[in-house]
Amino acid sequence: MEEAIGRYPADRRRSGAMPLLHLWQEHFGFISDEGVQWIAAKLGLQPINILELVTFYPMFRRERAGKTHIRVCRTLSCAMTGSYQLMENFCAATGIEHRHQNDGIHNPISVSADGNYSIEFVECLASCGTAPICMIGEDLRENVRAESVVELLRNQTSHIKHQTSPHPLEHRLIFKNIGRDDWKVEIDTYLHDGGYEQLRKAVTMSRTEIVNEVKTSGLRGRGGAGFPCGVKWSFIKPDEKKPVYLICNADESEPGTFKDRYIIHEDPHQLLEGILISCFALNARTAYIYIRGEFPEGAKILERAIEEAREHNLLGKNILGSGFDVEVYIHRGAGAYICGEETGLIESLEGKRAYPRIKPPYFPAVLGLYMCPTIVNNVETLCHVKHIIAMGGANYARLGRQNNTGTRIVCVSGDVQQPGYFEIEVGAVTMGQLIYEMAGGLKPGRQLKAVIPGGSSAKVLRADERFKLKQKQPDGSTIEGEISIDEIPMDFDSLTAAGSMAGSGGVIVLDDSRDMVWTLNNINEFYAHESCGQCTPCREGSLWMQKITDRMLRGGGVTEDPKTLKTIGDNIAGRTICAFGEACAWPTQSFVQKFQEEFAKRATKPVPPPLPPEYTPEELIEEEQIPTAPMAHDPGWEKAGAAGTI
Amino acid sequence: MFNVQIDGVWHRFPKGTRLIEACEQAGSYVPRYCYHKKLSSPGNCRMCLIEMGMPKMGPERKPELGLDGKPVINWMPRPQISCAQDVSEGMGVRTSSPLVKECQRGVMEFLLINHPLDCPICDQAGECRLQEFSVEYGTSESRFLENKVKKPKNVVLGPRVTLDDERCILCSRCIRFCQEIAKDDVLGFVDRGSYTELTAHPGKRLENNYSLNTVDICPVGALTSTDFRFKMRVWFLKETKSICTSCATGCNTIIGAREDVIYRQTPRENDHVNSCWMCDYGRLNFYYLEAENRLIEPQVRVGNKLAATDWKTAIDRAVLQLTQVGGSEIAIIASGRMTNEELWLTLQLAESLGVKLIDIVPRREPGDHILLSEDRNPNTNGARLILKSTAEPGANLLAIAEAVKSGQIKGLAVLGENPMHLGISIDQLSQLSAFVVMDILSSEATEKATVVLPACGFAEKRGSMINGKGRLQRLNRAVRPPGNARDDWEILRDLLQAVGGGDSLLSIDDVFRRIGETVPQFTGLTFSKIGDLGVHILQMEELPPTHPSDEEKIELAVAIQARRRAVRSRQT
Repeated sequence: MEEAIGRYPADRRRSGAMPLLHLWQEHFGFISDEGVQWIAAKLGLQPINILELVTFYPMFRRERAGKTHIRVCRTLSCAMTGSYQLMENFCAATGIEHRHQNDGIHNPISVSADGNYSIEFVECLASCGTAPICMIGEDLRENVRAESVVELLRNQTSHIKHQTSPHPLEHRLIFKNIGRDDWKVEIDTYLHDGGYEQLRKAVTMSRTEIVNEVKTSGLRGRGGAGFPCGVKWSFIKPDEKKPVYLICNADESEPGTFKDRYIIHEDPHQLLEGILISCFALNARTAYIYIRGEFPEGAKILERAIEEAREHNLLGKNILGSGFDVEVYIHRGAGAYICGEETGLIESLEGKRAYPRIKPPYFPAVLGLYMCPTIVNNVETLCHVKHIIAMGGANYARLGRQNNTGTRIVCVSGDVQQPGYFEIEVGAVTMGQLIYEMAGGLKPGRQLKAVIPGGSSAKVLRADERFKLKQKQPDGSTIEGEISIDEIPMDFDSLTAAGSMAGSGGVIVLDDSRDMVWTLNNINEFYAHESCGQCTPCREGSLWMQKITDRMLRGGGVTEDPKTLKTIGDNIAGRTICAFGEACAWPTQSFVQKFQEEFAKRATKPVPPPLPPEYTPEELIEEEQIPTAPMAHDPGWEKAGAAGTI
Repeated sequence: MFNVQIDGVWHRFPKGTRLIEACEQAGSYVPRYCYHKKLSSPGNCRMCLIEMGMPKMGPERKPELGLDGKPVINWMPRPQISCAQDVSEGMGVRTSSPLVKECQRGVMEFLLINHPLDCPICDQAGECRLQEFSVEYGTSESRFLENKVKKPKNVVLGPRVTLDDERCILCSRCIRFCQEIAKDDVLGFVDRGSYTELTAHPGKRLENNYSLNTVDICPVGALTSTDFRFKMRVWFLKETKSICTSCATGCNTIIGAREDVIYRQTPRENDHVNSCWMCDYGRLNFYYLEAENRLIEPQVRVGNKLAATDWKTAIDRAVLQLTQVGGSEIAIIASGRMTNEELWLTLQLAESLGVKLIDIVPRREPGDHILLSEDRNPNTNGARLILKSTAEPGANLLAIAEAVKSGQIKGLAVLGENPMHLGISIDQLSQLSAFVVMDILSSEATEKATVVLPACGFAEKRGSMINGKGRLQRLNRAVRPPGNARDDWEILRDLLQAVGGGDSLLSIDDVFRRIGETVPQFTGLTFSKIGDLGVHILQMEELPPTHPSDEEKIELAVAIQARRRAVRSRQT
């Protein structure tokens, strides 16, 4: 326990709150009121500070779960492949009466009468390529068939199914070792493969040199916003007096995205090397890896990797004789999508509710973790740093397209034959190639209906849309051409020009069997559940939109609904503290706009008039329920006014 | 100073001015819920969204100037909050553009969809920001057809504060107040998203001495005062600006009363004294004005009993009794709760009677380094200036008490205090040939008085006091005194006139002017010049330090009172 608190600066013991809550829950099974008070006292906090956390992060339970706790992923890709049926079957097999969120109870856990099993629907577990998935205890079960639940409960071993060898259109840099039969997570394998050579090289370079290489490489963040990494790094002053922190954002939770999971679970040293090089470049003596709570095994693998690296003097004091000290710590989340937002993540790391900060003034590079300069980078982004050092920034920049350099991992899920991850040169592959050649195309007899190209928050693209894109000609001029969805190159700028975004690289494919109202409702439910509730538009709007789509699905749609949905989205996007506002508004705005006919079909009832009171006073008087008597005398108002006596 | 364009007009503001304040100063009020100028800005309500722009930079990084010679503004496409940003040079703001209005409409709609809309039974109605801004910036129709989120109601957060979570708009003002001002971090949000609720941990409730300030700053009807709720609609309250007299801080207040009954007391902003806050103890310390044992008729002793009489008889009797005793055999126990005017008249009376023994009763209890002062007398400084004693106020008190006990004193005038608290027994009091009491509540001691003069409480009179930091402030009359009770200064003036003197003191303003003739700090001031926020007249550091022997005597007097209180609380 002391060790868990010792990972944070001595005057920042509050950061130890989440690790202690995890430990308490692992030991006692749930977090009792006593636990709340004990942890508060231990950290010198008030009990309310801990209660705030327990109720914010859904992974913390205030009631005892069953001996075996089952988490079924409810989010889009899993729901499309039958997770609701899976849930029902689990409940039937374990004798649990399931309560769903729509009952108005937030974060319900249902426990079987005998106490052996408990079950809950959770939001995206980040393995959409192997949907539907569930977690039994701490083990992930992939490609779960709804009819195999009994078998599943009996068989406790985990098995991860791997994709076969890379597709010819792929260019593997980061995922070079993922899925290799001869690959092990131990450091020896990694070292044998030339691992940590780049770190050795980096510590001989100057800090500015490394930052310049990254700038030259044109690397853009792979987390969702696509911000140039080198520019972000250069916000840190070279002569910074305060400690600088590097945070690796491993809170992968955008529905449709499942790339970081594989890096963490199968190639942890690659990530670690990227982090260590970045720490050196930024003069950051402490790095935190904020890993989502739903990756318990990943956290263990990373812990082990850190210890291995320490044994090889790659981490700790005076690494590789360079005189540079660096520590890397793991910090586990507990089930909050908003922790993927960098300032929300920082708040969470400080032991608070993950409420994103207002910018200005809290730009992380200036006032980040513990009000010190902080750089937050995605797992994949940090891995790229290693390869930039290996190849040199200029060489790296030759990969991909101008302003869209390098490779990136695209995750395909939904209605395709072979969902999975593909590492491509940015922009070298079109949407059509990705869906039809790499992901095996659509299911037999099905037509493409829509694509969500960058995680579920990206605006949906309709299959029969035409997109106007500027295309660069070999002679340097640009011409504007109209292309179909299949021709859109998979890069940041093209997808932005097509009215959506490359986001986190999670491509969700929808075929013509999909009901778009159902799809949007599923997405809305995710965002309503994950809204942190700090600022008004997102807190109120996300749930409202979900309630409307849910009502439409159940047959209660009124004619005004599509318009209402759109204006709610308009009132959220761009008016919130963080980008979650856009994330929750864009799906609604784009679905309603692009699939008008489907929404109109479900919105046919007239808008009900405002609820009348049960009886009007006139009716009550008519029914003689209100006794009336003629007015006794004239109150004389008019006279009084006229005489000026008031 | 920075040049800032607000709604098309250029203004100048000092560096560090918050944008939302700048707009307000320029006459363009920006609605807000979460922003409070004395607290940190979380920017969470999104009500203060405005359109903002920065000067357009030309070549050489200099602002481009337009035809009017002013910088050209580059407007940002997204609305910005104005509560977390300071003004900067060349900044432009639009507070009522179509985009801003649309934002305000949107936020108002969001805030109201899950709100219970129970204004008819809500205490906040009439002073509710949700009501006000909904009329001003919202729409009248609702598009919300769904079920509202259900949350706890009637939650007892602490002994004085009750919460309705459904009305709460989660602005977090109360949480920040507890953390930043009261230094008692007991409130917080639980759950997430639309289900977020304000609460306190059951093991640690909102019971600090500043808890009721959360009710003041709650912009809606979520936090209500358990004392005030359901008692009176706020629009019926007559509001009187006054000050709190429960300690030497002298927090500025607004007394809310209707038909001579006080319903509540709330803090009034004064950055020299109490910022926007006051303590719960002072705020609720007005119920004694309606106590059962309130003195409402002048009384004189007839045999063994007190009999009600008219004012003239009572005054004449009091003066007759006092003048029959020699000045050296009379003592006056005055109070640090009296106004300057009353203290001055008391001194005149003492001089007319030839009384030398006069002092006030000191009151000291632990302070809290926030607002509550150690000195629980509101006007010790007034006594210091006006009674002109060489000793510290309170230092002669025990000598007076000893003189009464030894029988050396035959006439005693007690003004607003209880001599028994000083260890004078009931028998010793009944031995006195003249025992004149001016007070508002009856007690064991007043029963033995030869003349009882019913006076006014702090909310029933005008007057001035000097707080612990040397600021002269005004008390104002919020309610009329009950029965035949009279304003203290009038009683003292009448006594003085009956002794012979006190000419041409027709109003309290006359008294104030006369003080100015002898006390230099008051010279040139009038009641109206004091104003609502007071005037600093006394530099505390200029006062000579209290002599150690005086300090000892005061401590002793305080200790005797404390013992006496302890005995009484055991008895009850």
